[in-house]
Amino acid sequence: MALPLSYHWRNLFVRKATTALTVLVIAAVVGTFAWVIGFVAALNRALSVASDPRKIIVLQRGGTSETNSAISPEEFNRLTQLTDVERDPDTGRELISPEMFWQTQLPRVRDGGATRANVAVRGVTEMAFLVHRNVRPQGATISTGLPEVIVGLSAAKQFSGLNIGDTLRLGFAENREFKVVGYFSADGGPMESEIWAYLPLLQSAYGRTGYSAASLRLREGADPAATIAQMAGAAIQLSGQTEGDYWRSQSSMVRIYQGVCYVLIGMMTLAAMFSIANTMFATVAGRTREIAMLRTIGFSGGQVLRGFMLESTLLALLGGALGCAACWAWLQFVGHTKDMFGTSTFTAMAFDIRMTPVIVLISLAMVAVVGVLGAVFPARRAAQTQVIRALREE
Amino acid sequence: MTITYVLMQNLRRNPMRTLLTCLSFALPMGVFVAAISLIVAMVKLNALNAAQLRLAVQSRIALVNALPERMRAEIEALDPDKTRIRAVCGVRWFGGRVQNTPSVIQSLGADVDTFPLVFDEIGWTDAERESWAKDRQACVVGTNVAEQYGWKAGDRITLESSVPPNLALEFHVIKIVTTEGRTNSLYLRRDYFEESRRTAGFVTPGCNLFWLKCSDLAALRALQAEVDPRFANTPNETKTMDENAFMANFAQAAGDLPGLMRAIAMVVVFIVALVAGNTMMMSFRERTRELAVFKAIGFQGGRVFRIVLAESVILALVGALLGIVPTAAALLAFPLKRLGFLPLSSLEVSPIAIGVSIAIALLVGVVAGLLPAMQAYRLNTVAALRKIA
Repeated sequence: MALPLSYHWRNLFVRKATTALTVLVIAAVVGTFAWVIGFVAALNRALSVASDPRKIIVLQRGGTSETNSAISPEEFNRLTQLTDVERDPDTGRELISPEMFWQTQLPRVRDGGATRANVAVRGVTEMAFLVHRNVRPQGATISTGLPEVIVGLSAAKQFSGLNIGDTLRLGFAENREFKVVGYFSADGGPMESEIWAYLPLLQSAYGRTGYSAASLRLREGADPAATIAQMAGAAIQLSGQTEGDYWRSQSSMVRIYQGVCYVLIGMMTLAAMFSIANTMFATVAGRTREIAMLRTIGFSGGQVLRGFMLESTLLALLGGALGCAACWAWLQFVGHTKDMFGTSTFTAMAFDIRMTPVIVLISLAMVAVVGVLGAVFPARRAAQTQVIRALREE
Repeated sequence: MTITYVLMQNLRRNPMRTLLTCLSFALPMGVFVAAISLIVAMVKLNALNAAQLRLAVQSRIALVNALPERMRAEIEALDPDKTRIRAVCGVRWFGGRVQNTPSVIQSLGADVDTFPLVFDEIGWTDAERESWAKDRQACVVGTNVAEQYGWKAGDRITLESSVPPNLALEFHVIKIVTTEGRTNSLYLRRDYFEESRRTAGFVTPGCNLFWLKCSDLAALRALQAEVDPRFANTPNETKTMDENAFMANFAQAAGDLPGLMRAIAMVVVFIVALVAGNTMMMSFRERTRELAVFKAIGFQGGRVFRIVLAESVILALVGALLGIVPTAAALLAFPLKRLGFLPLSSLEVSPIAIGVSIAIALLVGVVAGLLPAMQAYRLNTVAALRKIA
């Protein structure tokens, strides 16, 4: 028979102050841990959406992003030479979408407009909806004759002035009024942080005749590398990247940032482990006689060892639960929205940090492991208690 | 029997606890010193920038919207006697990169005549001023950029612009800039850049930004209020900010790293305070009788108070040093400034940051030891001796 759970549970409350302090340490670490994991998960979710292997982003040679690329209509027309482009089954047209990419500064909702974000504005034609398969208008979409825009769901949530019916001023002097007529989703990907308008109207608003970039969809089973090579060749002279590569390069800065967060969290987690070990050593030392008693009435050393491991894990889980709750409360009441620059798009990619069950599970699993590891030495000491000597002690 | 002796004995009595406490103190303090270094670096940079009395004038709509060159004269006309504006320098984003490398150098074209005046803090010698004025291909390079690519003064370099028309231009490095806060960028002459753009068919010259160097703070505040109304209702409405406000927009968009660091620093202080408090409580509880014996053999309350408090402070200090020294050494050995554009690159261990970390550790030690020390001070000798521990 193992030691009953209630024995350990009650023991945690014998030394209320020490238990409370240890639980708070663990809670602080787990709370931070959960936030960082949530942040990374939110970012990865957004980026993993934008990795359609059949989508190629076409930029001017030397361009590093849609922001600093320019493609003339002549250059764009050369793309029709590509051999592996998918065709629309209804019209037979090649799925190549000319796009214009610009940005406008809008106030952030989360700080009440104290700072402004660069929000991407993309001029598209109806072809864009065939190439960017995951973009789905919710309700109304842009018409080809009126100055209207549709807004990505994340952008609508995080930047102000983008509700349906609002008027958005675009153009070099902000002298063209575009009406927000609808929202669109993009499975939570980076495009959900964009504003889309009809390409010719946007071109005229900014006095442009060319495009910024193009996106195209490959035929089923086509090799993206071959198409990219063909594009780089003398006949076309444009540079292409798969969507996944494109966003990987745009998030390179964020990756460094993520690495820093991991190091910080790792160090703090180790500290929590030492803190647990410390508390468990004190617990074991304070209960030497009690342990000897347990051994005398027939509990084996192994059972005592497992018992203290269990007690430590309970302690850790208690802290973990509190930490997750604190992180949830922080996200709920302080803020869960975040946006980041692409490395060279310079436009904001907005995302939401959420406490998903998976994050809670990962955090609790991490803290349980920390609890077990922290208890290894104290529990071994407990199991090795010299029964006779301990009982004789005063 | 000195206090020091008692202290050492106490710390040695439970070496495992002393070690674990020091370690669980050291790790968060290591994080703390890194976080506080970044904050200190940012504050210092802000102070440096503020002292330069510069205003940034950009398009109200977006930084990518270039403003026409003539606006420089129009801004200068706001102050015809030249009492408030020292100089105005237009800059245009070049975004150069070394061919076949992915990372874009923060590089900008600047007006040839006013650049040395507006950015005078980078320390110009007469010879450097002259080569900047005479050599069309001159460029001044921040030392971090120069180190990364192995450039030195006198080198000829070729950079490919990442903005249309993606010019590949040759430059002469005439100066390496070591002034703090200016070490991650490269400046070239805008006239050379614009001329090359014109050759490539891009005929409208322009600036993403005008820097105004003001003569004093009052002039800066006044001009900040004057520039935007001057261009209101024109096709090129402006937004005028001081240098720090301009930089803050970038910090937000790069994930608000300073904000995150502040939050982490606070969590860390919270953690170490709890760890220290926990240890002190445990060791006080174990030694209640012993402290009572001290008092019984004639130690004054004040002395017992000091013994307990000193133990807590020493633990905190040793723990903190164990964390701070390796982190500081690591950051000195592998400086993050190589990372370039990020706000992270300004992270450098400074004496102030180390001082702040040690001060915080001391404070935590004192606060954590205070309650047990007070209990020791007030300890009822007879009752404690009678109690069976």
